Amino acid sequence: MAAPTATTEPATRLRRFVVWRQLNKLRWLILVIVFAMLVLLPLLHVYQTYTAAHAYDLLSPGEKQLYDVMETIAAPFVSDPAEDLDAIKGNTWSGSFWGYKISDPLAALGQVAAGLNLYWPFLLTALVPLLLTIFFGRFFCGWICPATFLYELNSNFASWLRWAGIRVGNRRFDKRIKYGVLALGLILSAVSGSVLTGAIYPPAIIGREIYYTIAQGGLGVGTIFFLATLLFDILVARRGFCRYLCPGGALYSLLGRYRLVRIRRIVETCNDCAKCNVVCEFDLDPLRDGFGQECNNCTACIAICPTDALTFTLRPRDYPEQGPGHLGRHYRGDGEAPGEADAAP
Amino acid sequence: MERRSFLQALIATAVAAAAPGGEALAAGRSSLRYLRPPGALREEDFLKHCIHCGQCGEICPNRCINYFGLENGLASIDTPYIIPREQACILCMKCGEVCPTDAIAPIERELEAILSGVKMGHARVDESLCLSFQGLTCGVCYRACPLPDVAIYVARLEQPHVTDECVGCGLCERSCIQLPQAIRVFPEYG
Repeated sequence: MAAPTATTEPATRLRRFVVWRQLNKLRWLILVIVFAMLVLLPLLHVYQTYTAAHAYDLLSPGEKQLYDVMETIAAPFVSDPAEDLDAIKGNTWSGSFWGYKISDPLAALGQVAAGLNLYWPFLLTALVPLLLTIFFGRFFCGWICPATFLYELNSNFASWLRWAGIRVGNRRFDKRIKYGVLALGLILSAVSGSVLTGAIYPPAIIGREIYYTIAQGGLGVGTIFFLATLLFDILVARRGFCRYLCPGGALYSLLGRYRLVRIRRIVETCNDCAKCNVVCEFDLDPLRDGFGQECNNCTACIAICPTDALTFTLRPRDYPEQGPGHLGRHYRGDGEAPGEADAAP
Repeated sequence: MERRSFLQALIATAVAAAAPGGEALAAGRSSLRYLRPPGALREEDFLKHCIHCGQCGEICPNRCINYFGLENGLASIDTPYIIPREQACILCMKCGEVCPTDAIAPIERELEAILSGVKMGHARVDESLCLSFQGLTCGVCYRACPLPDVAIYVARLEQPHVTDECVGCGLCERSCIQLPQAIRVFPEYG
């Protein structure tokens, strides 16, 4: 029969997706870089203030050490640190790069709610993230968010706890709760006349708190909130805050509902091992083609899939459920799958 | 000295949680005397525009911009402020440049632009405390002022007089050698 093609086909697929399998590592690299930048920028700011004040001789030994390290880092890139280091400022909530300003769509929405009017010079700074979100869905949550970096480490920590025999939470709630939190944040902003969406939004909190810790001499109020979300994730639900409560996640889920770039399952190669469902931080259902608007294209499922049955596709909607993969098909006796030849002997 | 100790924040959160919701929400003015960064909108509009991103503080070369916790009400959380006696504004105007929402308006670093665009507050001299009014010629505030003879001028015995041109940067209050300070900047938001 078609035995030769059946044996070679998985091999060609493997080569085809070899790059996409590495995307999860790239994602971790980006998360680490973003987080490192959030630490580095306040340190550079402190160094900048020292240079602006020509204060080297007045610094304490610890401050001198910081000055020297930062000078080593910055020296190849800038000639006049006091001025040139102004080029990159801010965090993932709102930042500026050589005068180009870019802001979180949630900040824009919160400001609209607080002022009940549209201030276009600011709203336009959220345009690029908005378009990217419409195209890639919740990519911010998986690929950039500095809170995700800590939350994923936190859920690794929770699985060590589970391994040590300590019970961790795995409750499930309605995913729509977060839309209520988003609405509540906007109502609070409107009532108080202040953009409070950022006060309950972990990436904004983390950017601020790192800056406060380094340059302002202490942690702020947001740290308590963030620690509470970490505990919530361990004790109540895995990645519970992102999935059920995050107002930003709610906004990007809505914007990314008809995103074009999504992950799909190739039913012919899928062997129903369900590793994708286990590894999915957001508790989605790749095994039954259930990605939905929550999927943040983090590619963890692509990286773990042993048969390369998960790939990217350009489609505004998920595939309808395609049924079990080729093993299931074989046992059902459909007999169309290329895997039939493997299983025959 | 540091306003942002962790314990303080903890207490403030507990207080905010215990207080009735409406009261915690109210943007009502506290008794704190603080300035907003130079070029900031009037207080109410400022709060509506500011997204609490922290870039103004991160670009401030003088590190005079601090951030509120909950001590000035929930609406002011994570918004920038300046306590001139601790560290005053040097009017470098970088914060307005970096502000993405124009809650702090971009103003050029030129005399005319600053005089017309910046109104953080207004300095007032307490003559009963001021050394020059006690017969000891001092004049430190006049020499600290970035707009000497425009915002402040000295009369006999270096006695300081503040004019209407004062933009309220607070360098005079920062530099005053009296304790408590004899010249104070009173904020003009409202």
